[in-house]
Amino acid sequence: MLLKKNIKMELRGYCCLFFLLSIGAVMAQGTYTISGTITDKGNGETLFGASVFLKGTRLGGVTNEYGFYSLTAPEGTYTMVISYMGFRDVEQQLVLDQNQKRHLELSEISTNLEEVVVTAEEPERALLKKPEMSVAKMNIATVKRMPVVLGEVDILKSLQMLPGVTNNGEGTGGFHVRGGGQDQNLVLLDEAIIYNTSHMFGFFSVFNADAIKDVKLYKGGIPARFGGRVSSVLDVRQKDGNKKRLALTGGIGFISSRLAVEGPMFKEKGSFLIAGRRSYADLLLKAAGEKNSVGFYDLNLKTNYSIDSSNKLYLSGYFGRDNFELGDSFNSGYGNTSGNLRWNHIFNDKLFSNLSLIASKYDYKIGIALDEFDWVSSINNYNVKYDLKYYWNDRFKLDFGASGIYYDFDPGQIKPTSDNSPVNPLALDRKRAFESGVYANVEHKLTDELTVQYGLRYSMFDRLGGQAMVDYAEDRPVVYNSVLDIYERGTVIGETDFEKGKTIERFGNLEPRASLAYELNERSSIKAGFSRVAQYIHLLSNTSSATPLDVWTPSGRYVAPQLSNQYALGYFRNLKDNRYSLEVEAYYKNVANRIDYIDGSDLIGQNTIETEILNGESRAYGLELLLRKNEGDFTGWIAYTLSKSEQRTPGGAAGGAGINNGAWYNTPFDRTHDISISGSYRLNDKWGFSTNLVFQTGRPVTYPNGQYQYEGLSIASYADRNSDRLPAYHRLDLAVNYKPNRRPDKRLKGEWVLGIYNAYGRKNAAAISFGQNIETGANEATRTAIFGIVPSLTYNFKF
Amino acid sequence: MNSYKTILFLLMATGLFSCEDVIDVPVQTAAARLTIEASLDWEKGTAGNVQTIKLSTSTAFFDTVSNTAVTGAQVSVTNTDMSAQFDFVDQDNGTYTTTEFVPVIGQSYTLEIVYNGETYRATETLNPVTEISEVLQSRDDGFSEDELEVRIIFTDPEEEGNNYLFKFQKLGELLPTLEVGTDEFINGNEIDWWYEIEEDEDTETIEAFAPGDVVNIEMYGISKAYNDYLEILTDQVGGVGLFEATPVAVKGNCVNLTNPENFAHGYFRLTEFNKTSYTFE
Repeated sequence: MLLKKNIKMELRGYCCLFFLLSIGAVMAQGTYTISGTITDKGNGETLFGASVFLKGTRLGGVTNEYGFYSLTAPEGTYTMVISYMGFRDVEQQLVLDQNQKRHLELSEISTNLEEVVVTAEEPERALLKKPEMSVAKMNIATVKRMPVVLGEVDILKSLQMLPGVTNNGEGTGGFHVRGGGQDQNLVLLDEAIIYNTSHMFGFFSVFNADAIKDVKLYKGGIPARFGGRVSSVLDVRQKDGNKKRLALTGGIGFISSRLAVEGPMFKEKGSFLIAGRRSYADLLLKAAGEKNSVGFYDLNLKTNYSIDSSNKLYLSGYFGRDNFELGDSFNSGYGNTSGNLRWNHIFNDKLFSNLSLIASKYDYKIGIALDEFDWVSSINNYNVKYDLKYYWNDRFKLDFGASGIYYDFDPGQIKPTSDNSPVNPLALDRKRAFESGVYANVEHKLTDELTVQYGLRYSMFDRLGGQAMVDYAEDRPVVYNSVLDIYERGTVIGETDFEKGKTIERFGNLEPRASLAYELNERSSIKAGFSRVAQYIHLLSNTSSATPLDVWTPSGRYVAPQLSNQYALGYFRNLKDNRYSLEVEAYYKNVANRIDYIDGSDLIGQNTIETEILNGESRAYGLELLLRKNEGDFTGWIAYTLSKSEQRTPGGAAGGAGINNGAWYNTPFDRTHDISISGSYRLNDKWGFSTNLVFQTGRPVTYPNGQYQYEGLSIASYADRNSDRLPAYHRLDLAVNYKPNRRPDKRLKGEWVLGIYNAYGRKNAAAISFGQNIETGANEATRTAIFGIVPSLTYNFKF
Repeated sequence: MNSYKTILFLLMATGLFSCEDVIDVPVQTAAARLTIEASLDWEKGTAGNVQTIKLSTSTAFFDTVSNTAVTGAQVSVTNTDMSAQFDFVDQDNGTYTTTEFVPVIGQSYTLEIVYNGETYRATETLNPVTEISEVLQSRDDGFSEDELEVRIIFTDPEEEGNNYLFKFQKLGELLPTLEVGTDEFINGNEIDWWYEIEEDEDTETIEAFAPGDVVNIEMYGISKAYNDYLEILTDQVGGVGLFEATPVAVKGNCVNLTNPENFAHGYFRLTEFNKTSYTFE
């Protein structure tokens, strides 16, 4: 029955795509197209998001991820203006009497290290016109100048300074977008899915800023080409490598050091980049005679090769690893590995295509020497994507494509490491799935003032066999025990074996995406958007801080896909000759099938996750404000978010009222107020100063609401889930940049960065735990604060 | 095997930077509930006829002064398989005792308490426990290689579904330590269960075992339901850290028949147990 319904849905999906493809087929007569790529003159890197405009007209566009642009205009003579943040504008005469190609180079305003003057994230004209909204884009130069903890530049921490993006407290990985969970973020590094974004449990992010070209976070209005996560897409692109000369960049800090080498290859037809980072806390600890150690390293690789002017190959890879040792008795490691081969093919001056073959893996291992066993777990996925963009005419652009991802989850295996191990070998069921999607999206300029974007994605998810599924009495994996008022595991009545390759369960979802931008005048516009996104894999965590041990679960017989609808409305305005910009957005989103764990759930080593969870829903809404100063010696922004994020988990088929008696409760990601102020001031060529100020409402947690005596102990009874809050989180960071060498002819350019994280030593609670004082027996609350005042000194160089 | 989920290597990682301090925190206060500590434990080799049930009320979390003893309740336990009833006599200090109890392994018992006009009831089976074959000490095992640990060796019975509660208390320490384990991953194996105290270098209030120290050890055979209850309870004792499961309400097996909303804390358990002590050399 369900299958039939899905096929119907699928057909409907394809119909809609064809409908979309067939509109806009009216071609303008007497028009010609200019296309090409825009690159950085200094290093040959392609520029993503550079704007190309015809002066005196409303015709223009921006380059795509590969620096490609295509503009169609009526025959005539124009002045073409190309601009990109931090680069000098280029103006060129253009006689458009035939289709033509033009590759252009832009020069950085200053070639000195990190002295880029930050202008608005995208040229203002584009910013106002494009229906794209709810997007946070960060210039790597901005990221590099912000004060950071332990001297290591961190893209994720910088993103958390923007409205709608929060962390989960210090020392935890991941980030939260508009009240969503960290598993609801699709994190892509050169299109490869990254499952864990943190090193050392969130102290560092996996992204080495020296290897990254740009970062774009879609908080909503997710384009139709992306799917699979309901909250956000973080699209991180690695640098291609310097095409002009061999270059070295690096930094030496307290905790870690990094080095990147890049240069031309294949007679300037290509280039490469190798970047590595390593922490040396482990070495220092060992040298100090400490048996416990903690450390990470990672490696970014990228090469590209231009076969000819319309074919280009990219190969990129990432390998990162974290290791922990607790004496000889215990060790643990985890890491992401990814590889991606891409082929850019330009069919003609209007049709651009990219084919990607991607593999990525996340794995972790725990070795317990004492009991002589290893616990290993992994997720592998293989991904094929084909994306095309058709620049139909100046009013109509079409994106379309398809993708398929094969997942192989190995949720856990216990491997005794000797015959004497008291632990029996065990392997949890491997889980397999195939996720596919087709999409089409149109950017359609209806009038000079109104641009709309409408698209449709049809996604499908096949949970594949090769495992047995447990059958429960009455099909209920969780059952409400009305006598004791608790949720219990359902009664197992048997098992159904599913052959490899057979589909256990199939889901299909139509995901419409639409947005519009209406230009009120030269300086302001309003935008509105709607997006529906389906998410087929879930990360379940019952700890206050996500750990690398958390288990991803694919949708299937007992777990339905998450489905979100998000509505957003925004007002955008440039003030005082574009020196300031103001962005205001309001959003509302709801997510169906958001799972939550039952009281007393046991998630580790759990083969049947379905017995530990209930299906619920979540909703989030908020207002975001961003005021930026874009130009001058002083630049920066004030971001404020007022928001609410809650969930509800009724008993459903399991019976009973559900978690928290079926009432709405705060998600752990709810932050009523979130204020971030970031500023930097350039005093002269040598000295620069920057600062961050953050204030966030405390994270919802569960505190005791009483105590009782049992077994000679005082036992805490706990209040409703997430009905209390940690104290508010706030801190101030400061940094000073000093560039000693100002001789422009010298190739080696160095810079000292002195930073103070948490300058006034706020003890922000990462957790508060409640227990008895072991001497007096009286109850007390103990706060764990991760960072006190953390000074750091880093030397960055470029050669 | 010790429950490896509590191995908080993560805490060690954060321990490199983190600091802990005791602070004042405002908390909610729920209405007082009856707490039932009905632990009918039968030490191997004894008659098991003397049994005590403790009744108290819950208080505000930071309360240190209230008298919580519950007097005036009617307490009885019935062997439902043999229809024998044992009445527990109010000692006027929150305890209720009997000297008549007859423990029979595998049989079902029902507890009934009438307090403040409300009737509470719980049912449980008396669980057996296997014998301890050896108790010894070592330094190499445990989390720390330098500190002494006591090790209990026993053989888990063939059939699956054995659950254990261990209670360790160093002589002179105020609070006992509770640990629970199931034979889920270790069924039928010889088990080496260790207990170690890690020194707290910061406060120096916690000291590791030293030669001459005495540790009292109790090992109980418990039901699966009680194991599930204790697992949550023991995980939450002493507080829940950054990487541990978020605390949740723990509900025992004592149901309020008169007013189900007003459930009681605590548990009605019946166990067989081993008791021993060990002096470190």
